[in-house]
Amino acid sequence: MSDIIVAQNLTLSYERDEAVIRGASFNIKKGDFVFITGPSGSGKSTLLKSFYGNLKPSSGTLLMGGLNMNSISKPKLQELRRHLGIVFQDYRLINEWTVERNVVLPLWIAGYSKEVQRTQAKRLLHHVKLTGKENKYPLELSGGEQQRVGVARALSKNPFLILADEPTGNLDEYSSSVIWDLLENACRQLGTTVVVVTHKIPSVFNITYRHLTIDEYGAIYEVH
Amino acid sequence: MRSIKEHISLIFPMVAILLGLEFFIAFDRTTKGYEESLKNSYSMLVVSKDEMDIDDFRAWDKHIYKVSEIEKSRIVKEVGLDLRDKDRYLSDELPNFYSIKLNKYLNTKELEQVKKNLLKSDRITRVESFDTLHNSNYGLFSSIKLAFRTFIFFMTVIGFFLIIKQMEVWHLLHSERMKIMDILGASLFLRSKALIVMALVDAIISAIIASIVFYLIQNSWVKGNHIAILEDNIDGLFSFNDVFTLIFASILIVLVAVVIVVLRVKEE
Repeated sequence: MSDIIVAQNLTLSYERDEAVIRGASFNIKKGDFVFITGPSGSGKSTLLKSFYGNLKPSSGTLLMGGLNMNSISKPKLQELRRHLGIVFQDYRLINEWTVERNVVLPLWIAGYSKEVQRTQAKRLLHHVKLTGKENKYPLELSGGEQQRVGVARALSKNPFLILADEPTGNLDEYSSSVIWDLLENACRQLGTTVVVVTHKIPSVFNITYRHLTIDEYGAIYEVH
Repeated sequence: MRSIKEHISLIFPMVAILLGLEFFIAFDRTTKGYEESLKNSYSMLVVSKDEMDIDDFRAWDKHIYKVSEIEKSRIVKEVGLDLRDKDRYLSDELPNFYSIKLNKYLNTKELEQVKKNLLKSDRITRVESFDTLHNSNYGLFSSIKLAFRTFIFFMTVIGFFLIIKQMEVWHLLHSERMKIMDILGASLFLRSKALIVMALVDAIISAIIASIVFYLIQNSWVKGNHIAILEDNIDGLFSFNDVFTLIFASILIVLVAVVIVVLRVKEE
């Protein structure tokens, strides 16, 4: 299987700060389901940010879908981001837009027709069990429901890679199970690569997954 | 409700700026007409030993625009002399009188300079500039002009401050959405589209409001208030072309404001 993410001696740091990730080398293949764990402040979210180009490597190499993130141009980065599905811990929904409009945002950015957007929104909202809430606004929903909208948005354009940052962080059991089911299905049925940053791997998980962990010194290991 | 407030917050300062701009344009146009009429009604009297033509006068001062000789017989008549035939030679001995018009409306200093320049000529014996009347007209006119321009200046400055405040509001309202869209791969134009469309609509609404206000000023207020300077130049107060000037200025201002907000979000 082809490599989706390749990191070699990857070091990540914020301006003038000490390195958060130091000399990490790993690769993630197409169709992998990967959990990245580690103590608070170990750099899990920072690593995820570098995957969608919000933080450039300080040294080493990071290849995303064959694109070198050290020297990627703005148009190429935009194109890459259009093919990713990103789920944030704090949902990052557009509060002045309806649920439906939020879900189809990646399709709107890609220029899909209104008809395609409507059909896809209906299908996804059914999957995340939010049928009937199309015209609600994010702030009218519970945290769990908002995160399900976030997951629906991430899945809307059938991305080749889903990046999820603590997707079930503060959610109730029901919303958490819906989200894990969706991510599992995306990986199993569509062959989507899924990378999840989390504190805790769910106890019941129905597919084979890989587990990378970051220690307090910023080194990354694979847990077997 | 929030959306209406957001629109009004931009339209209000924009209208203030556009009214300032239109007042400036209209005032400039109106006062130009008034200056022209002052210029046309003003003339200097020059007395010379010999006959002189316009080129002789222009050789001494470039502001000389028109020269007309005053008939000696008219002078004789005006001063009430009754010359008999045998005294006709006296009439021939009278100097030459000229009425001189200038090419623009000059201030007192410039007028004094014209007088000095003309008196440098050996042929010119006397220059009467009637500067007392001229001074009072010019002084009144200049002070009105200065007061009005100061008012327009402050109105525009306040308008700009309100727009800067509105840019802060835009930043708060739109930056989060623009950042989310950036992470999802939207182009700069797509991220800014909502802000651009809103700003352009508000710019056009503001220009239309400012145009309507001026149209009403021209057609109701000026006509009802009998202000001579404005009534005499009422056509110069507002012209249809001003609508396009206002729309253009309005769009330019909001686009600069939008670009600043967008670039600020991009830098974060």
